[in-house]
Amino acid sequence: MHPHANKFMETARKELKNEQSQMFLLMVSLGAPILRQIGMSTFADIAAAEAYSRAIRADVITRLPELLEAFEKNAVSNGAKVLWAKDAAEANHIILDIANQRGVSYVMKGKSMITEEIGLNDHLIKNGVDVFETDLGEVITQNLKLHPFHLVGPAINVPPSEISEAFLKKGIIDEASTDPVKLGGGARKYLRDKFRNLQMGIVGVNMGVAETGTIINVENEGNIRLIKSSPKTLVAIMSLEKVVPNMADAVSMIRMLTRNCTGQKITSYVSMDSGPQKCDEQDGPEELFIIILDNGRSEIYSDLKTREILKCIRCGACLNTCPVYTKIGGYPYGATYCGPIGQTLTPMLAGMENTSDLYRACTLCGMCKQICPAGIDHPSLLLSYRARQIELKNQKGKKTMQSRGENAIAGLIALGMSHGWLWSLGINLTRPLMNSMAKDGYIGNIPMGAQGWFVCRDLRAIPKKTFHETWDDLPSRPESSGNTSKKEDS
Amino acid sequence: MKVSLFIPCTVDIMMPEIGVDTNTLLSNLGVQTLYHKEQTCCGQPLFNAGYRDHAKRVAKHFIEVFGEDDCVVSPAGSCVCMVKYHYPELLENEPIWQKRALDLAGRIYELSQYIVDVLKVTNLGATFAGKVTYHESCHILRGLNISAQPKKLIAGVEGTQFVELESSTACCGFGGEFAVAYPEISEAMVREKAANFVKSGADVLLLCEPGCLLNISGYLHRNHTGKTALHLASFLAQNIKKV
Amino acid sequence: MRVESIKRPPKPVLSELSMNREQMVQRFGQELGGRTGVLYQAANPQAALRVLSDIIKAEGLKSFVATAQDICGVDIASLGEADGISVSFAKDFTDRETLREAAFKADAGITSADFAVAETGTLGVIFNHNHPRLLSIAPPVHIAIVDVKDLYPVYENVVETVFKNTNEMPSQFSFITGPSATSDIQGVEFKGMHGPKKVFVIMIMS
Repeated sequence: MHPHANKFMETARKELKNEQSQMFLLMVSLGAPILRQIGMSTFADIAAAEAYSRAIRADVITRLPELLEAFEKNAVSNGAKVLWAKDAAEANHIILDIANQRGVSYVMKGKSMITEEIGLNDHLIKNGVDVFETDLGEVITQNLKLHPFHLVGPAINVPPSEISEAFLKKGIIDEASTDPVKLGGGARKYLRDKFRNLQMGIVGVNMGVAETGTIINVENEGNIRLIKSSPKTLVAIMSLEKVVPNMADAVSMIRMLTRNCTGQKITSYVSMDSGPQKCDEQDGPEELFIIILDNGRSEIYSDLKTREILKCIRCGACLNTCPVYTKIGGYPYGATYCGPIGQTLTPMLAGMENTSDLYRACTLCGMCKQICPAGIDHPSLLLSYRARQIELKNQKGKKTMQSRGENAIAGLIALGMSHGWLWSLGINLTRPLMNSMAKDGYIGNIPMGAQGWFVCRDLRAIPKKTFHETWDDLPSRPESSGNTSKKEDS
Repeated sequence: MKVSLFIPCTVDIMMPEIGVDTNTLLSNLGVQTLYHKEQTCCGQPLFNAGYRDHAKRVAKHFIEVFGEDDCVVSPAGSCVCMVKYHYPELLENEPIWQKRALDLAGRIYELSQYIVDVLKVTNLGATFAGKVTYHESCHILRGLNISAQPKKLIAGVEGTQFVELESSTACCGFGGEFAVAYPEISEAMVREKAANFVKSGADVLLLCEPGCLLNISGYLHRNHTGKTALHLASFLAQNIKKV
Repeated sequence: MRVESIKRPPKPVLSELSMNREQMVQRFGQELGGRTGVLYQAANPQAALRVLSDIIKAEGLKSFVATAQDICGVDIASLGEADGISVSFAKDFTDRETLREAAFKADAGITSADFAVAETGTLGVIFNHNHPRLLSIAPPVHIAIVDVKDLYPVYENVVETVFKNTNEMPSQFSFITGPSATSDIQGVEFKGMHGPKKVFVIMIMS
C-alpha cells in the first residue's frame, strides 16, 4: 500500500463530478442499510446481537496476546506451519521464498486486503512469480490497475464497457460485451485452467480460531475453496487481530459479518481449515503456511486508545452509512482501506503527517460508531488524532511559523472564551467587519478567512446585539395566562 | 423550577432570537430562568480542531460559570454533548475537575428533552396550519438519543401536519470546521438535505441544532429562495396563541 | 486447551432452536430456494435414486464424479453407463492430479453431506479421505444427498459436534449454501462465478 491520501480533495472533487461514481454511491447509501436491516431482522433482539458481537471483539482485544499464542500452538499441532512477519518486507520475502523453493511460476489469490496493504502482488511479479487475482472484483482492479472503490465490492462502480475493453486486451473474453454475466463468465473460463493446474495458492483469513487453530474464510464465489483444494501448497496470511477465542464465537461473528457486509444471512461458502490435508486425502494442501502479520499493529495495540481499531472485522458497514464516503467513494482515501475504517487505520499505518485529510474530513456524525458490529468508536479516534497532530506540531523543535500562528489564534480564541468581557469585545470588533460585506441582510462571501463556508451558502448578517446584550431587555413577565415567572440575572 | 440558560456561541452571536425563544418557552411553563453573563462557548470548536489544552481552559471556565446550577438547559445538542461526554474526557488527568464535570453532566439538558422528559409537557399552546418536517441532527439523535421529544412537541402543535423527511437522520454536512475546510463535500451533503426538504412538500424544516440551522438556512438562502428552516424553539414560540 | 472468555452480555436468542423437524425441513427448503438451490424430499433411498436420475436427465448431465458408490444408502453405482453417462467415483483416482482433472471436467459432483442446517438452507460437509474437496466446488452442478436425521436448526449444533475433540478435527469443514455467486460488476448478481451454478439437495426422509 502506498497511500496517496495527500491527494484526498483533488480526487474527491473528481469523484463528486463523476456520474458513474455518484450513481453507485447513491445506490450504496440507500440500498445497503436496507439490506443490512433485513439481514439483521432474523435476530429476535437486534440490539442484543450487536452488543454480543461487540463484546466478543472487545474480549479479543483484551486477550489478544494470549489468544494468538493459543492459535499458533493449536495450528501447529494441526500440522500447519505458522510464521510471524514483522512487516510488509518480511511477509513478502517469506511468500516469495515459499514460491521459489517450490519452483512455482504463478500463484492464485483469494481476496485479501492485507496482501494489498503489503503490496504482495507487485513484489511477486517483480521477482518472476505471476499473480492471478481470482475474486471477480479484484480481477477487475488488477487488470484495470484501479484502487478499490469499496471495501467489499472494489470494482462495483466500474462501467462494464471499461471492463470489456481491458478483458479483451488480456484475452479474458473473445468478444466485447457489457453484460456482467458474460464478463464474469469470461473470467471464470480464463481462470479455470489456472485453478486446475495450480501449485500454490494464497488466501487471506477472516478469522483464526484460537481454541482449535482453525482458519476460516467466508466467500460467495468459490475461488477461495478452489484455492484451498486444488494446489499442494497453501499460504494463508492474516493480520494479527483476526483471531476469535472459540468456534461458538466464530459462528456468532460470521452471522454479524455477513449481515453487515452484504445483508446476506450467510455467504455461499464458509470453509474452516484445521491444518493441511491429512494423509490419504485426495486433495487439499499438503502444506499449509499461516503467516501472522504485524505491519504496525503491535504498535497500534500498545496504545490503549488506538488498540480498538484492531476490533475491525472488515465488514464495510461503516462505509455504507458514512455521509462522506457515500459522496466521494473509495478513491480519495488513497489506500487499501477506505471509509471510516480507512480514516482510522491508515493514519496509524502510514503515519499522521501525510494523512491529515483522513482524520479531518469527518463531521463526527457518529453513523459509523452506531452501526459497527465490532464496537469501534471512530469519531473518538479521529478526534484523538487531531489532538495528536496539534501536539506534534507544537512540540519543541517541531514548531513552524504556521503552527505557531495557528496555535496563537487558537489561544486567543480560548482566551476570549474564558472571559465574558473579552468575548463581547471580540464580537463587537468582528461584527462591523463582517457586516460591511453583507447585502440585503446576508453575507455572500468574505475576502479572506473561512471562505469555504461561502462556496455554496450564505450567512445571515450578524445581529446588532448578541443574546448577552439582549437579556436585559427581555420582559420579566412574558404574556401567558396566569403564570408567574421571573427571569434572573446572575 | 429554576433553569440556568446555556446559550451557545452560534446562538449568542448569529441567532440570538433562538435564545429569546428558548427563554419565552420556559418562562411560559412557569420556569424561572437565569442567565450567567460570564458564559461564552463550550469550547467545542477548539476541541474538534484538536486544541485540547485550549479547550480544557474553556471547559474549566464553563464549569466555573455553571457548576453551582441545579439545572442547565440549552437549545443546542452538540454543545450539551460536549459538556456531558467530552469535558470528563478532557479533564481525565485532573480528578477534581473531572468530578465537577461528571457532576455537571448529570444536570445539563437539551431543550426539547427538558420540556418533554422533565417538565412532562408536550403542548405549548402553539398553532400552525401547515406542513412541517424535521431534520434529526447527529448529536441530538446519536449523541443524546433524543428523537421522540422534538417530535412530540411538533405533534402538540394544533393544526400542524407532520411529513417525513427522506433520509432525516443523514448528516447535513455542517460538522463545524468541516463545512469550511471541505466545502465541496459539505455542499454535496447539504444539497441533498435541501432537496429532500423540498421533496417533502413541507412548508418549514424544523431542527434542534443551531449549527445545522446555520448550514441549511444559509444554503436555502443561496439556492432555494422562499424555503425556510427554523429552530424548533423559534417555531414554537412564534406560533403560540396570543391570549 | 479451553480458552475462557471474560464476562459477556447474554448471547442473542436463536429463534430457530424451537423448530420441530417439519418446520426445519420447510425452512431449509425455503432458504435454499431463495438462493436458487432446490430441495427434494425422498421417502427412502430408492426414491432418492429416482430423483437423482431425474435431475441428471433434466439437466442433461453427461458425466459426474461421486464421493462413493453408496451415498446414504442410495446406489449411485447403478446409474450411468447404461444411460450413456460417464460415472466415476473418488476412489477410482489414485493420485491427486487425475482426481482434479476429473473434477474440473465433470458435469456434476455428487456428494454426501454430513449435516444440513435449517437456519439458512446450508449443508455441512466434512472433507477427509472419504470425501475430496473438489467434487462439490469444481463441477458446475453440485448434487448433495443428506439424511434428515442430520438436519439441525442452527450452525452451533453442527460446529459443536465437528470441533468437539480438537485431536480429531477434519482438515477442512465447510458450510455450503446454494450455488456460487457474485455481484461485483455493477451490483448485478449472477450464479456460478467459480463454483457450481446449480445446487440440488436430496434429503432422505426415512
